[in-house]
Amino acid sequence: MLRRSLAIIGLLAAAAFWITPGRAADAPRRIVSLDLCTDQLLVELVPRERIAAVTHLAADPTVSAIPEKARGILVTHGGAEDVLRLDPDLILAGPFGVRGTVDLLQRLGRRVVIVPQPQELAGVRAAVQTVAEAVGEPAKGAALIADFDRRLAALGRRGDGPQPTAVIYQIGGSVSGPGSLADAALAAGGFRNAATGYRLTRGGQVPLELLLASPPDLLVLSSAPGEYRTVLADNLRHPAIAILRREHASIELPWRHWLCGTPHIVDAVEKLAAARAGIEARAR
Amino acid sequence: MTRARANAEPNARLLLGALAAAAALAFVLSLAIGPVGLGRDLPGDAAALIFREIRLPRAVLGALVGASLGLSGAALQGYLRNPLAEPSLVGVSGGAALGAVLTIHLGLSAAVALTLPLGALVGAALAMLAVVALAGNHGGPVTLILAGLAVSSIATALVSLALNVSQNPFATVEMVFWLMGSLADRSLPQVWLAAPFMLAGIGLLLLLGRALDALTLGEDAARSLGIDIGRTRTMVVAGTALSVGAATAVTGIIGFVGLIVPHALRPFTGHRPGLLLPASMLGGAIMLLLADVALRLVQPWVDLRIGVLTALLGAPFFVWLVLKTRSELAG
Repeated sequence: MLRRSLAIIGLLAAAAFWITPGRAADAPRRIVSLDLCTDQLLVELVPRERIAAVTHLAADPTVSAIPEKARGILVTHGGAEDVLRLDPDLILAGPFGVRGTVDLLQRLGRRVVIVPQPQELAGVRAAVQTVAEAVGEPAKGAALIADFDRRLAALGRRGDGPQPTAVIYQIGGSVSGPGSLADAALAAGGFRNAATGYRLTRGGQVPLELLLASPPDLLVLSSAPGEYRTVLADNLRHPAIAILRREHASIELPWRHWLCGTPHIVDAVEKLAAARAGIEARAR
Repeated sequence: MTRARANAEPNARLLLGALAAAAALAFVLSLAIGPVGLGRDLPGDAAALIFREIRLPRAVLGALVGASLGLSGAALQGYLRNPLAEPSLVGVSGGAALGAVLTIHLGLSAAVALTLPLGALVGAALAMLAVVALAGNHGGPVTLILAGLAVSSIATALVSLALNVSQNPFATVEMVFWLMGSLADRSLPQVWLAAPFMLAGIGLLLLLGRALDALTLGEDAARSLGIDIGRTRTMVVAGTALSVGAATAVTGIIGFVGLIVPHALRPFTGHRPGLLLPASMLGGAIMLLLADVALRLVQPWVDLRIGVLTALLGAPFFVWLVLKTRSELAG
């Protein structure tokens, strides 16, 4: 349903695009993306024949919200040589991790647009707009934003009771702290981030026993316990987590929903709002 | 010499008794100290849960892993008659980490129970055999350290390679786990997985007392005392592989315990490797448990891992050892 309406909006936007000639001529047609988050925006805004390459993560279902849309697009590993080989007319990058490559590409006269990483929901609109303008698809961008706003508005009113708490518990015991996009999703879903209540002793990591001593109303796991068979994810398989999940509300909210500031963050917000409705129904 | 030994006999019981008491105390401290004060008001059965599911496995693993590392350090030093032998320095821990990483990333550990510790102890045994083959019994400290460096470099490089090739999104963080071990948030299932192997290895190594005492007189003299050298070697390799392999499989590489503990205790054991074995086992447990307690006490300020802490304690010790060896050579 959602996908169909998105597709229709996309078709309309495409039609609008064809009617206004002139844009198409100077719109970039060999676009390379160097960041998982710009990958996802790019794939949703631009037909794939204009995309020269995305990162290998774009088609990875564990971290990408749109793996099937990205499948089959050429992959770049992000080195300057690899990018130049594709002769791009636009390079999209995130703010982190590729500084050296970006500097080099800019010095060689390539057009690079750095898309900021949103830390709150308003930033998602800005990120969509930035990419949409850079790729010459402002109408499609506006349509994505409109859909995003419509879904956020449709979340419905929350109850008047005190805000329940939630914590997003991840591999290695990390939790999403205040000021992150995941924190914004929690707030939009009607939760107070319990991470602020824990003394964050090891960076963003919470010792399991603090979680047991003051459990949140909702425990959000960033991946299913069996998803990653690595030692780092052993904390998600810890018997204490299983006991917590038996006694308290808990959902799995995979990374792909909230890792990037794309409109897909609304998927996470919807899931959280549903969990909140469940908690309130039980309290009544 | 004879007088020292005569003095050492009654002291042995006293020494082991004192070490056992200290180990018990360290174990209790490890149970008692953590980020949550168990005395304060906790919801429901949270206190019991924290104690049983988090503190207990952590303390048991601290004791068993420490004992494994201390004891195997003493056994390696006694068998190789080399003061620098230590599981992580000679590549045994690295081999174990490689074995564990391979079973995880080939999907074996998920498919078949016990493959994780088995993979680790096969890796440890292979590394151990490689070091013994390279350095032999007559090579002296330098040869041993070079052989150990070679084996552990290869092992850690292959660990990194395996993690990179697996396209694991957490490869870099996981590398840190394997190279700088941790006792944080371990669970009872992990204790059940590793403890039987560690206990078997500890048992094997403790049987070596008489053989190692005899070996101080040289291999020929030991043989004349009825010591089977080949069997001794098999027991050292198997015991170290079992205990260090299983320990590394659940905690990653924790270095230097096997170096520091036997050296610290040697003056109290009348330089008898046989007595040093149980003493180092208890000393290793004490050291790791106390290091882990210290870690949890300072944790609010720094992001510190137990492997980092033991390395911080161990590296200066290593420097001291070098200086001592130099002055002995000069003298």
